[in-house]
Amino acid sequence: MSLDPTWVPMKWPCGPLEMARRKKSASANAELNGTLEAWSRPAALELLKGTPVNCLIVAWAYGEPEDSAQQQALKPLLEAGRTLGIRFVGKIATKEGAGAAVAAGRAAGLSAVMLGDASGQPYDLPVILQFSQDKVAWEVATPIFSSTGNAWPGLRLETMEGDTGIAGPTGVPWVDSNGWFSLLAHELTAGKALWLDCDPPASSSASHPANYGLAIADSRAYGSRWIVSLDDKLRAALVKTNSQAMEVWGKLCETLVFFERHRDWQAFRSQGVLAVISDFRGDNASLSQEVLNLLNRRQVQFLIVERARTLSAALDGLKAILWLDEEAPTSQQRSKLFDFVRKGEGLVITAAYWGPPDVKAIKKDTYPGYALYNVGKGLIAVTEAGFQDPYQVAVDAHLLVSRRNDLVRLYNPASTNCRSSTDPGNRKRLVQILNYSANPADLVTLWMNTRSHSARLWWPESKDPLQVQGADATPGTEFGLPPIFAYCALEFEGSNPC
Amino acid sequence: MLTTTCSRRKFIGAASATAGLWLARPAISWARSVPAVRVAVGKCPEYGPGVVGVLENMFDQLGGLEGLVAGKTVAVKLNLTGMAYDRLGYAPAGLTHWVHPEVVGATVHLLGKAGAHRIRLLESPMSTAEPLEEFMLQANWEPRDFSVAAPRVEFENTNCLGRGKEYSRFWVPGGGLMFKGYDLNHSYADCDVFVSLAKLKEHVTAGVTLSMKNCFGITPCTIYGDDSPADQPSLVPRGGRGPFHFGNRLPSKSAPPPAEGNNSTDPGYRVPRVVADLVAARPVHLAVIDGIHTMAGGEGPWTTGRRHVQPGLLVAGTNCVATDAVAMALMGFDPMADRGTAPFETCDSTLRLAEHLGVGTRDLNQIEVVGTPISRARFDFRRA
Repeated sequence: MSLDPTWVPMKWPCGPLEMARRKKSASANAELNGTLEAWSRPAALELLKGTPVNCLIVAWAYGEPEDSAQQQALKPLLEAGRTLGIRFVGKIATKEGAGAAVAAGRAAGLSAVMLGDASGQPYDLPVILQFSQDKVAWEVATPIFSSTGNAWPGLRLETMEGDTGIAGPTGVPWVDSNGWFSLLAHELTAGKALWLDCDPPASSSASHPANYGLAIADSRAYGSRWIVSLDDKLRAALVKTNSQAMEVWGKLCETLVFFERHRDWQAFRSQGVLAVISDFRGDNASLSQEVLNLLNRRQVQFLIVERARTLSAALDGLKAILWLDEEAPTSQQRSKLFDFVRKGEGLVITAAYWGPPDVKAIKKDTYPGYALYNVGKGLIAVTEAGFQDPYQVAVDAHLLVSRRNDLVRLYNPASTNCRSSTDPGNRKRLVQILNYSANPADLVTLWMNTRSHSARLWWPESKDPLQVQGADATPGTEFGLPPIFAYCALEFEGSNPC
Repeated sequence: MLTTTCSRRKFIGAASATAGLWLARPAISWARSVPAVRVAVGKCPEYGPGVVGVLENMFDQLGGLEGLVAGKTVAVKLNLTGMAYDRLGYAPAGLTHWVHPEVVGATVHLLGKAGAHRIRLLESPMSTAEPLEEFMLQANWEPRDFSVAAPRVEFENTNCLGRGKEYSRFWVPGGGLMFKGYDLNHSYADCDVFVSLAKLKEHVTAGVTLSMKNCFGITPCTIYGDDSPADQPSLVPRGGRGPFHFGNRLPSKSAPPPAEGNNSTDPGYRVPRVVADLVAARPVHLAVIDGIHTMAGGEGPWTTGRRHVQPGLLVAGTNCVATDAVAMALMGFDPMADRGTAPFETCDSTLRLAEHLGVGTRDLNQIEVVGTPISRARFDFRRA
């Protein structure tokens, strides 16, 4: 058995180990224990029939006295699950070696284990390594790997006044998204699958559920998977087949089905006019990662290039490169960047000048805070104060590249973000729009930089797409969109998508 | 259509004299002897190539632009209120709450054709120090269209210091209604001719926003903004002009202080006075109002009761009070109205205040309307 990136994972908290762990939390009560017990019964798997969920994450060994009881209690569930084609991944969080727990899992029929141990020690079962989002060991990431400490997508609670989002420094509501992290993971671990481990807010319930559809969309639109994780109240209500709870679950599954139906979109490549280059590690991690987050919030379409891959990176079609790290490029990298600037009329934005020594900074028409150097047909822009505030770096990069080169724009964007990508053959273009508010985004207009008479508008609530007509908005096209709940996507075909 | 035979050589005699007189004489006493001024009204049902012709005809009816702008640096304050991504429904901003780019381009072209030496397009975009061109691009405008419409077209974001080395001070004659003076971006001083290129709209706080209220946006939020520092201007504007509305804080101490004894916190009192101050301190030489497509019910998509309307009108004049008076009449309002009467249900009349400061007259009896008569062009905003 090997790891399969098409698995659709879900947390399945149940059994004595979970009960023991929850005893320590404020949420412990008789109802919760009842739910945890009920979810360990094979009958609970009925919930999954007809849904895409086919991989359950269960607590397996936490180095607690209840480990053994947990493993015993789960046997009927695992056996029943196997007959339904469900895989089980056992989460192991022991302080001692995980070998015994893995062996027990193999004997019990687990398909894989989820570990925080990145030592590289071999085990008898496939391993899904799990890291904190800010401490991912990219080099040892397993074919499927997971992160914790992710943001629950939506309007940030701290920026809420009642139901109204408070503007961030961009003047638009501040949203939490893992989009940037999913894109980064894709670049740094090519071919590997990221599972985002993120629980809904404690306030979520069957009657006032968290935005589960958005949690799915915020991962899938950017190429990762969210490990489905339901709140305790919803799970308790599902045991009782409460109608509200079943409706929430039904909608969640509808969104999962939608993205499984469009699994081919996962192969689409990001479009970008700006490449962000960094090693995204160590001292460079904080700034570079937040710049990605804020560029995404500005709807700047960008490509991520790991610094070590600069030489192999395709720069065709790019207008600019943002070289974020203080470390100067190597001589070979420099040579490639010079070619990009000199011959390609490109722009390189950097913290220190490392261009030809005989070139002087332009005195007039400089962008505030930057010294501009004409090199061949292009420009090198050097920040005078270094890169400090990631917000300002994102703003400056966008404006130095110029909005003239925008690939997409949103009007009346409210709490929406978008991602533009193309299929590997460059025949289709896909613009995915996410709404981070619990309220529908009304009267949103998508502008895209290319001409297109029409597009297929997809959204999870409908099996079939809606054909929408574009309006000329030279040099591109505009599409007025119906209300957007959590997500919609526009698919364009055959009309010079790039 | 009523036409005039006023030659270009006699450029806008009364109106240009107005500006000169105003500068030379005590404002209040002068207000009682305002000479007749001319305002042109043009019907223009749609944006497109026809805009240039209609505007050119209107400028000719006013006496032509040459005498005003030939060889001069002309500053043009655009009305680009709100964020560039704001829309009323799905309509581009130029069809509702912004002056339309074709009106901007046509005006620039005609100013250039009339011999303007340099044309500076100015606006103070909301909450940003970014180049004005970038703000326009965000709205899917192409600044190059303006650059090629006339020689030496420049752009400046006046919500901050911009390309200037220091802010320029404008004192309000007579001491000011709200502030004794205002510190503005250098572009409002480094010009020979000042044009207000506005939109024909109602305004929730000020009743109407026309060529005068457009000038509310000449104030930099680095000094007058919600988060401007107490002592000196910030580098980057943050927030809007809340302090002008509510009097909840003072501008940076580097700017002229408030006029004495004026502590009102009523936006309907404060905003019209700030506007009147500004057009008195920074006279408008040419007012152009785009009412081809616009919106009723407020000044932007954020207001309640908003709706797109198509009056199909352009209005121009060399006196901003008179031009706004004619524009108000075209909107179905009485320009002599004041607080309590539409459209000034909850505010004072900027027109009355500006008239009081001697900027011009709002009395239609003293205004010569050329082009289409008001009676044949009226578009009732409250019934639209």
